[in-house]
Amino acid sequence: MASIKEYLTNDHRRCDEIFASMEEAANESLADAKELTQEFVDATERHFQMEERVMFAEFEQKTGMTQGPTAMMRQEHTQMRSLMQQMIDAIDANNKDKFFGLTETLMILLQQHNMKEEQMLYTMAQQHLSADADRIVDMMDSIVPE
Amino acid sequence: MELTGLSTDQAPPISAPLRFFLTAPIFAMLAGVLIFTTEAQTLMSRYSYETIAITHALTIGFLGFVMLGALTQMLPVLAGVKIYKVESLTIASYILLVIGLLSMVFGLYFQKQILNFIASGTLTLGFLLLIIPMLFAIKKVVNFTPTVKAMGVSLVFALLSILFGAHLLASHANSNITDSHYIFANIHSVWAIFGFAGLLIIGVAFQVLPMFYVAPRFKQFCKKRVVLLISIGLILWAVTSIFFNSYAVVTKIWIGIFFWAFVTTVWIKLNQRRRPITDVTVLYWRSSSVFLTIGIFAWVFNTFLDDKMIVPVSILIGGGFLISIMIGMLYKIIPFLVWFHLNARGYMNIPTMNEMIDKRVSKIQYILYVLSLIGFTISYFYPKFLELSSLSFILSMILLEYNVINPVLIYSKIIKTKPDFDMSAFGMMQEE
Repeated sequence: MASIKEYLTNDHRRCDEIFASMEEAANESLADAKELTQEFVDATERHFQMEERVMFAEFEQKTGMTQGPTAMMRQEHTQMRSLMQQMIDAIDANNKDKFFGLTETLMILLQQHNMKEEQMLYTMAQQHLSADADRIVDMMDSIVPE
Repeated sequence: MELTGLSTDQAPPISAPLRFFLTAPIFAMLAGVLIFTTEAQTLMSRYSYETIAITHALTIGFLGFVMLGALTQMLPVLAGVKIYKVESLTIASYILLVIGLLSMVFGLYFQKQILNFIASGTLTLGFLLLIIPMLFAIKKVVNFTPTVKAMGVSLVFALLSILFGAHLLASHANSNITDSHYIFANIHSVWAIFGFAGLLIIGVAFQVLPMFYVAPRFKQFCKKRVVLLISIGLILWAVTSIFFNSYAVVTKIWIGIFFWAFVTTVWIKLNQRRRPITDVTVLYWRSSSVFLTIGIFAWVFNTFLDDKMIVPVSILIGGGFLISIMIGMLYKIIPFLVWFHLNARGYMNIPTMNEMIDKRVSKIQYILYVLSLIGFTISYFYPKFLELSSLSFILSMILLEYNVINPVLIYSKIIKTKPDFDMSAFGMMQEE
């Protein structure tokens, strides 16, 4: 079984791949990219929920840190959810410039967010939650996004 | 475990990096004006006071300012550490560096030794005020990634080149030029260019290329060994230059090979990137790879020409490689910082990054800049091109300033309005 860090890091890379395919498709035709955009939004939303509902919750319970790094990460999730909604709106309005402006912003926000998680939070989580790692990965793996 | 990097409260205020970023193109314009007004013959010598003055307007004024601004921003995000009293230290350092650099440029240009004395002290203090706390911050890093290691090594080379530079300028102001002066000058410049700026770029590229362009990651060998191998090369180069000068060319080839391998890798990775967009930052990475390739071979070959070609070599490496990449980085980092800080304060209706910088103007800026580099290189052999090239350079820097100031104007306009969400309530909710 993969560690928490590996599992979530791999999921970041999976989302990056869908993101790249989405942009590739949007570069050809914005309308054709709608399906991939939805796929990216769903994959990212699922990732956020694996963190918020499982890993962050376990981390907060174990460490008692509810206003620390996880609060910051939750806030950045909110920022990204708003950008993703705007991307879907831009596709509906067939506004390619707006769409790529949003993906550019999202890309940087997402990457610096991932970096903070991969380099700090996941490492901390792995240390504090190592005894329950298998159970937590299992729970994340079987999550059904709300 | 250090948690500070995870909070925007701990990151420096937006004014800290922006102050440095917005000033950099202004010093480049000053350099351009000085090139325009100086005799071509004078600029052909590396050791003329005018050449040294103009070089430092670019190396400290442009490269140094961009790198310091970027490091204050990147260390909290990439390394997760807080720089001691970053807000007040960036202000103090900035003021000292501006005073110091103006004193140095005009002190050398017009041979006013009192200004050179002032410059030697203020510049050194200005740099150390930020570099020392940054080195201490890096010491506290828990998770040492290759990028953070490269930043640390780059800052050590920065520290050493600055101390050499302070000595050189002070001894010049004293008219105390000994034989060792030229050896120190060489070590100062090579360590500053390849050690401070070069290694920082390599370290940041490990992160930025896969991140921004969804390009394949760098190989472990590259990430783990290249910075070390180049550092060894730079130290061996200094040792051979002092004691066994005839062997110095071997160490130059050593350094050259790794930088060339780096830019070739960058080129290949950009070819393999998953993001289809070719924006001006991709163009800057591309052209800087080409300029470095020509420049680094010319640098090695120049050894056999008794260093006669050092001026065009410096244009290719300093302007074509280093400044190019830094300009590209400014185009990404400034609009993002504006967006990020506004969003964190609860503003939702913010122009996207692409709406903050006019794509056409940035393309024109790029073309003018590349033309000026080619023009400067040709001017070394055909001086009649110098004036035209310097005009193209000045214009490109005016356009760069226009491009990077626009997002900041958008920021100051939006920040005066009421946020869509009151984020202070968010903080309070958490505390309850």
